[in-house]
Amino acid sequence: MIPALDRLLARLRAVFRKPALDADLDEELRHHLDALTADKITRGVPPDQARREARLALGSLDAARELHRDTRGLPLLEQLGQDLRHTGRLLHRERGFAVIAILVLAIGIGLNTTVFSLVNTVLLRPLPVPSPDRIVQISNGDPANAERGYSDRAHQVDTWEGLMAQNRTFERIEYYDPFSLRQTFPIEIDGSAPQTSNLVFVSQGLFDLLGIVPAKGRLFIPEEGVGEGLPVMMITHQLWQQRFGGDPNVIGRTVRLNGTPMTVIGVMPAADTFARAFYPAFRIDAYVVITPDNRRDWGDTLRLIGRLKPGVTPASANADLAFAMDRMLTELPDRDARHRAEVEPLQDLLTARIRPPLLFLSVAAGLVLAIVAFNFGGLLLARGASQGRELAVRAALGAGRGRILRQLCTESAVLVVIGSIGGILIAAGCVHVLAERSAIEIPLLQGVRLDGAALVFMLGISALTAVLCGVGPAWHLSRVGTGSLEALQQSARGATAGSGLTRLRSLLVVGEVALAAALAISAGLAVRSLQNVLKLDLGYEAQDLYALRIDALRDREELAPLFDPILDRVRALPGIQAAGVTDCLPIERDRSWGIGYLGSAETTEATNWTGARLKVVSPGLISAMGITLRQGRDFTRMDDADQPLVILINEHLAAHFFPNGDAIGQHVMTGGYPREIVGIVADTRHAGPESTVGHEMYYPYRQQNSGSFDLMIRTTLPLTTLRGDLVNALRAIDPTLPVTQVRPMMELVERANSSRRMLTTLIGGFAAIALSLAALGLYGIIAYTVTQRTKEIGIRMALGATTGAVRSQILGQTLRLAGWGLLLGLALALGTGRLMTAMLYGVAVFEPMIFAGAVGAVAACAFGAGLVPSLRASRVDPIVALRAE
Amino acid sequence: MATDRFHVDMPHKTLLLWLTHIKRMPTDKLDLLQGTLDLMVLQTLAGLGPQHGYGIARRIEQIGGGDILLNQGTIYAALVRLQQGGWISADWGTSDNNRRAKFYALTARGRKRLAADTANWRRTADVMDRILTAPGSQS
Repeated sequence: MIPALDRLLARLRAVFRKPALDADLDEELRHHLDALTADKITRGVPPDQARREARLALGSLDAARELHRDTRGLPLLEQLGQDLRHTGRLLHRERGFAVIAILVLAIGIGLNTTVFSLVNTVLLRPLPVPSPDRIVQISNGDPANAERGYSDRAHQVDTWEGLMAQNRTFERIEYYDPFSLRQTFPIEIDGSAPQTSNLVFVSQGLFDLLGIVPAKGRLFIPEEGVGEGLPVMMITHQLWQQRFGGDPNVIGRTVRLNGTPMTVIGVMPAADTFARAFYPAFRIDAYVVITPDNRRDWGDTLRLIGRLKPGVTPASANADLAFAMDRMLTELPDRDARHRAEVEPLQDLLTARIRPPLLFLSVAAGLVLAIVAFNFGGLLLARGASQGRELAVRAALGAGRGRILRQLCTESAVLVVIGSIGGILIAAGCVHVLAERSAIEIPLLQGVRLDGAALVFMLGISALTAVLCGVGPAWHLSRVGTGSLEALQQSARGATAGSGLTRLRSLLVVGEVALAAALAISAGLAVRSLQNVLKLDLGYEAQDLYALRIDALRDREELAPLFDPILDRVRALPGIQAAGVTDCLPIERDRSWGIGYLGSAETTEATNWTGARLKVVSPGLISAMGITLRQGRDFTRMDDADQPLVILINEHLAAHFFPNGDAIGQHVMTGGYPREIVGIVADTRHAGPESTVGHEMYYPYRQQNSGSFDLMIRTTLPLTTLRGDLVNALRAIDPTLPVTQVRPMMELVERANSSRRMLTTLIGGFAAIALSLAALGLYGIIAYTVTQRTKEIGIRMALGATTGAVRSQILGQTLRLAGWGLLLGLALALGTGRLMTAMLYGVAVFEPMIFAGAVGAVAACAFGAGLVPSLRASRVDPIVALRAE
Repeated sequence: MATDRFHVDMPHKTLLLWLTHIKRMPTDKLDLLQGTLDLMVLQTLAGLGPQHGYGIARRIEQIGGGDILLNQGTIYAALVRLQQGGWISADWGTSDNNRRAKFYALTARGRKRLAADTANWRRTADVMDRILTAPGSQS
């Protein structure tokens, strides 16, 4: 054994054997003293003198004992024990202080850990797939489509096949159909009533590419991905639980999908990476394979997801695909130079929209943490000031500065540790809410959890807070404490524990107010942006509008015999103002087709091609949705397959083709046929409130095939009544139609706004917390000075100062502090406003009204913080104040 | 020396004074360098065989004569340090005056350390001697 290690272990043991070891030492020292005395007496020294000399030779027994203890034990550990016990007593005695400090810390640490988890899940952590940095999307690069449109990202089957055959940079390329949810299907399980279900069409190998491991059963196998495919499906965990009751023998069961029997071959895991990444906040029920043959000769309907070969960069893959694409453009029919193959890392693509707001949120959370830290530091200083006398006494009794420093640091560390535990609880709650609130449309958000990284982060910020805010004040206080004589005298007189402390606290409070003001301005801007988004004219009236999904998977000729009676019956229901049918529900469904200018019906060569969002609708749909008809007429039931093909276009598209405003009666080429423009309607923000206005066109459903439709109903009836009425009305017409999905249009609009609303709520919450903390800080320091100056105030009142004068002096002091903070805060907001620009909507970074509002909010907080102490000051009884002490 | 001892009796400053007593000491007494006390204790035990704390202190003062200022209380810290390191062992026994006392004895490890420390000390002293007596140095 090594002596040093032996010694360490022995010292550790000694800590726990203190009484026995002390007794041993005492006996040795007694023996020493007696033996020494006896020796001296033998040498002829008189007994009394011998005893005294022996004591002198041995030195102080206390010193010997202390030295012995420090040598044999671990003084640092023992002192830590003392400090912890002392802290425990102290916190028990000053419960109010402890509770406030711990709460403040818990809020700051909890919020920051939550935001970190959010940022980590959505932005930092790699996609939960194998080799995430090599997973890319190959988009079509068709610029004609509006944002959020999938048509600019999707490819045709032969493009996929060509890229597969000719690329040199990909391990594999898979796809899914981003338009899957346009079409919904009735699923019937064991003869139960069919329910509208959301199916996504994927390539056979996509889930394997994404590294998905099924919870039950298996993934699709190659045989299921060739030819016409096989009638098999994978169901989601959610469908398995809800429709199959979690049946352990679900594999192999048969369900009827729109009447066709399908065999369940697998259950997706509860953490469905695919859905979380591509369909956040959507309910997916099942996955079905689409084979290349299924989509032969279709348009751009496949979104390609590929994995690069190891070591290949997206840029070199891009060059590789560009080369392959150039060759294909010359070989494949109906392709023009607009078709490209752009490689983008999937993670960047998924998070592009949410990145700036999340980064801003992190900054905001950091500011809250800084305020929390300042506040905590201020609280420690405040308490230290009231502790000044105790510290001075301890210093006078021989406690070194290091010892006092250590004691003070132990106190703050204990507070921080308890605060962090509270913080973890808060973060766990917030994260749980975020993960469960599947209505927030942020990719990967549903995977948010408190993981090791979040805990490490939490430990880091806690340690930082403890060190920065614990050690600073402790250092300061230990200096005050060890300037023992003056401190003792000062506190004996009941004077302040030094103006230096108060100055430091004032600085901290000014800092808090500054950060809170900056946050208040950010929150104001965020709220104004949200208001602007909510006020936007969507082009249709979402309020009082409901959508009922009708899975009318039948031939075009059979649609009118179904829709006409439905529309007649629904329109006749009491309380229903209007109804119509569309195959392109705003926000959720989306598709663009090409359209070119013809002019007269005789022209054969179309020019000026562009893309436009296509909506196949019934007569009366535009009025049911509240879309204004600007010129011409709506469709009628006469616009059927036997009549000339007609089209409605929106103003934006009309301006593109007909800047002179003579659109009505002219012809355009679209969907393979010329169509006559019979009307012009208002633009809509189809893809969501924050989307831009794009080209839109409407076909009558009698002249164009389509899949699922939505029956749009305008009514003020409550949802439950409406649902009941609709079930009765439709059952009379066709009892097999599922009436399961009746949704208020506002719900969809809200979902589109959900990420903005969440961010706004968080920033608003941060600002509210920041303002409260700043107010608390202000209150703390003002209340403290009032207490310290009770005597002075008493004297002034005895000399004739009015209560009003005292009150306004205290309030003035508060507002002065707040004013400095406010000035700094406004400067900070102006300086950092650029960070926010990506989040703003319809409002400038410098918005005088919002700045004024923030000034008002801070002033109100300051006023509130100063009011109570000023009232207390004005109620000081001069006699009592002067007699005290 | 008298003033020093007087201060030592104030309980809370003892440690500080012990650490700083170098500066306060009369110049005619030798200061105990850090670590030298351990060596003295080891050598004493090697010479006398098992011995109690008082015996060790008495022996060191006898040999050192008036040249050494030994605060006898500090010897117990040195003893516990040496014991924890395994260089000496301790056992309760009976002293000359028929009292219970703790007897310390050198262990094999202690003997090894004594040899090493002695050699080390001799070399240090030798080097110091050469430096101090080298031509050109003031003495």
